Amino acid sequence: MPLRLMFILSLFVSFCVAGASAAELQQATFKNGVKLIVEEDHSAPVAMVQIWLKVGGRDEVPGKTGLAHVFEHMMFKGSKKLAPGEYSKRISAMGGNDNAFTSTDYTAYFETVPASRVNEVIAMEAERFAHLALRDKDFQKEIRVIMEERRMRTEDDPNSRMFEELSAASLRLHPYRNPVIGWMQDLKKLTIDDVKAFYKQHYVPGNVVVVVVGDVDFKQLKKRVASTFGRMKARPVMPRFNPTEPEPFGPKRIVVKLPAQLPMLAVTIPVPVWKPGVNDTEAAALALATHILAGGRSARMSRELVDEKRLAFNTGAGYDESAMGLDLWYAYGMLGSKQTPEAFEKAFWKLLDEMARKPVSSKQLAAAKRNMTAANIFAQDSLYLRAKQIGHLEVVGIGAANRDNWLKAIEQVTPADIQKAVAHWLIRDRSTTGILIPEVKS
Amino acid sequence: MNMRFPRPLIAFIVFMVASVTQAQAIPPIQQAQLENGVRVLLMEAHNVPMVSMKLTMSAGSRFDATDKGGTASLLADMLSDHTARHGHIAWDDLLDADAIKLGAGAGRDDFSLSLTVLKDALNTGLDAFSEALLQPGWNKKRFSILKHDAIAAAQKSREEPGVRAAQAAAALLFPQHPYGHRPGGTMASLKRISIADLKTLYAAQIKPADAVLAVSGDITMAELLPLLNARLSVWKGKAARGLMDISPAKGVAGKQRDVALPTTQMLVQLLRLGPARNDADFFPVFVLNHMLGGGGFGSRLMEEVREQRGLVYGVYSYFQPLAVPGPFVITLQTRADQAKEAESVVRDVLAAMASGKISKQQMIASKENLIGSFAQRMDSNRERVGLISMIGLYHLPLDYLSRWQQRVQAVTLDQIRVQAARYLKPEQWNRVRVGPKSAL
Repeated sequence: MPLRLMFILSLFVSFCVAGASAAELQQATFKNGVKLIVEEDHSAPVAMVQIWLKVGGRDEVPGKTGLAHVFEHMMFKGSKKLAPGEYSKRISAMGGNDNAFTSTDYTAYFETVPASRVNEVIAMEAERFAHLALRDKDFQKEIRVIMEERRMRTEDDPNSRMFEELSAASLRLHPYRNPVIGWMQDLKKLTIDDVKAFYKQHYVPGNVVVVVVGDVDFKQLKKRVASTFGRMKARPVMPRFNPTEPEPFGPKRIVVKLPAQLPMLAVTIPVPVWKPGVNDTEAAALALATHILAGGRSARMSRELVDEKRLAFNTGAGYDESAMGLDLWYAYGMLGSKQTPEAFEKAFWKLLDEMARKPVSSKQLAAAKRNMTAANIFAQDSLYLRAKQIGHLEVVGIGAANRDNWLKAIEQVTPADIQKAVAHWLIRDRSTTGILIPEVKS
Repeated sequence: MNMRFPRPLIAFIVFMVASVTQAQAIPPIQQAQLENGVRVLLMEAHNVPMVSMKLTMSAGSRFDATDKGGTASLLADMLSDHTARHGHIAWDDLLDADAIKLGAGAGRDDFSLSLTVLKDALNTGLDAFSEALLQPGWNKKRFSILKHDAIAAAQKSREEPGVRAAQAAAALLFPQHPYGHRPGGTMASLKRISIADLKTLYAAQIKPADAVLAVSGDITMAELLPLLNARLSVWKGKAARGLMDISPAKGVAGKQRDVALPTTQMLVQLLRLGPARNDADFFPVFVLNHMLGGGGFGSRLMEEVREQRGLVYGVYSYFQPLAVPGPFVITLQTRADQAKEAESVVRDVLAAMASGKISKQQMIASKENLIGSFAQRMDSNRERVGLISMIGLYHLPLDYLSRWQQRVQAVTLDQIRVQAARYLKPEQWNRVRVGPKSAL
């Protein structure tokens, strides 16, 4: 599974939009553009601090893919006040854990710490954000680490590799066509000067959203952010690269030959993302259609294609309504040794055609809605997921304030809305199909 | 999405070792016993209207018949798939209608059935939970489908270096021993399993007398017990074999196994037996492992292999504490032509630590991290249920969590050095490599 798609899948499963149990969000924006969003939860003496940046793979120029993700590594390699590795050592000593993640749309750095240490963490985050060391010596080591990361996650994983190829073939302009970790050819050519230029251009206060969930006090925290991130000099914010993808003219397909054990077939389709107040029903209908196809135990792909027709041994599909610009919707089937891509493909499209023609049963729709609402409440159990939802909605432009509106949109969807969305968007003529053929037995 | 450090590993390690922060933050574990012997362990958490639970029995993959590895795992698939009263379609519809998350799984020692529900679906959730446990359907057609899908998944997993290494490691460390295969089994072992094998395991080991039901969530013991008694009192009996009915593996040293796979990287694992769950020196070894490679950044291995040399994305160590000594593993992946260099750096770290080169400062750093991060290791219902069922299954004291930080704090440098000499001598470790033939 490709990195971005894998990420979308997990988001799809866990995406939480404020159930009854979610506390209210408190927000503040500072003059230089830094934003703070807090959700207080005093049930345990811990807090999740996440620094979200409106910077990701889409902000790279051609030939420099992987650059946004390089920062995920270099941010731990020292700043004006801290030696390389010192950041993590300090977090560790306070009983915290730190990490970071990068997508096409954003970069985020996070720490789980005892609540009493949040002030210290905010100050440390602000210091490295503003005064990153960026030494060539460290970069030369980290770029090797990143190449190992790419080998492990992509080169040596046939599913991942196939999805990387498929994403690239599916889109002509949109940056979801490039892997977040970067093409190996680009990684080999990146220099410390590229890194410094990217830092200067994109690590500016106007791109920062500070998200804190946990046992904290908003008023106190606001003062702390004002005296750290809030003090930085305002700098121009670059508009983000978000091109309009040209409409597909007909079905495309690729074949990927790799050392593997078994074949796989996957389909991608560019579909719209959620624009609150503009296309709530359409986006929610796409989400429900995807859930009915692949979400619960009674998912139609597994019931009809795996259990009844025996055309695959595992299936899945995913839609991320809070992607940026468009989402690359996907579905796949893992095929056993006697199952053919042709038979699976035919039955898959027959299933989608049927969903476009016939309304889903009210029982099925009610179960899908109930499960999406429940998933939202289950996700409230994790500080990490709660903070992540807030940060994500904010940096892609939907706005954390809209988080309650997604479930409302889900509730409104009718069987006819689902039929309409499937008939319009999930069709062969808009699709790209990828087939993984095991070249030699791995 | 990319991450700087493989998070699943962190989660895995956290789960295995159990943990605790500010003592006042830890709600007590409440205990009750049903008449049939099931021990109910509850930690209340009323912040989210949900309840999670896990019923654990000593019925894991070590009870698989010889050459039939994957039996317990297939039994788990079957029990959650359908029941005597509901065929799989009706069953799936019933569970989805109320967003009931029901699952089952098998580890080496443990077999578990788990449930996560919204508070308002607790009654239907418990109905389903007890039906899955007590009224298995044994549908032959479904067995055949689940078995064939498991075989295909086992074939697919042969693409993964980690799976290949784990298979080789189990065979190397545990020859002729119940721990000598992965719980999921292999294509060949799965093919040999019949529905009768599942029924045999179910009849022998799925019994209440030594079972533990760990619960965390928005519920009290007073609410919970009548609900359980109403559903589980008909379940009776004692498992044929208990958790401790197993001999320790003999232990091997200096052995090697190579698996050829057409990858760009070489996966290198060093392995030996580690401590059992009830080892008297568990805490010193636990702190030692954190310093060696269990603590992520800051650990000796991460510092030497990644930070100093840029050879890997991740290198880490862990031990799996089971009823008797389980595996102690050091693992890394690097471009195939760098594998020898990476391995020799690891061996140098082992030799240095085994000879006592461990600083007080590093011990303090590890203890600070472990003690300070205790609260976040149990800040969700899922994590709490995992910890509580481990405590129950291995008969650890109920104050295990509240005393955990104290016991980490009490570990001395001398104790760590003794354990380093006991476990880290390079010549006692075995090796598994998975990678391209040309580099083996």
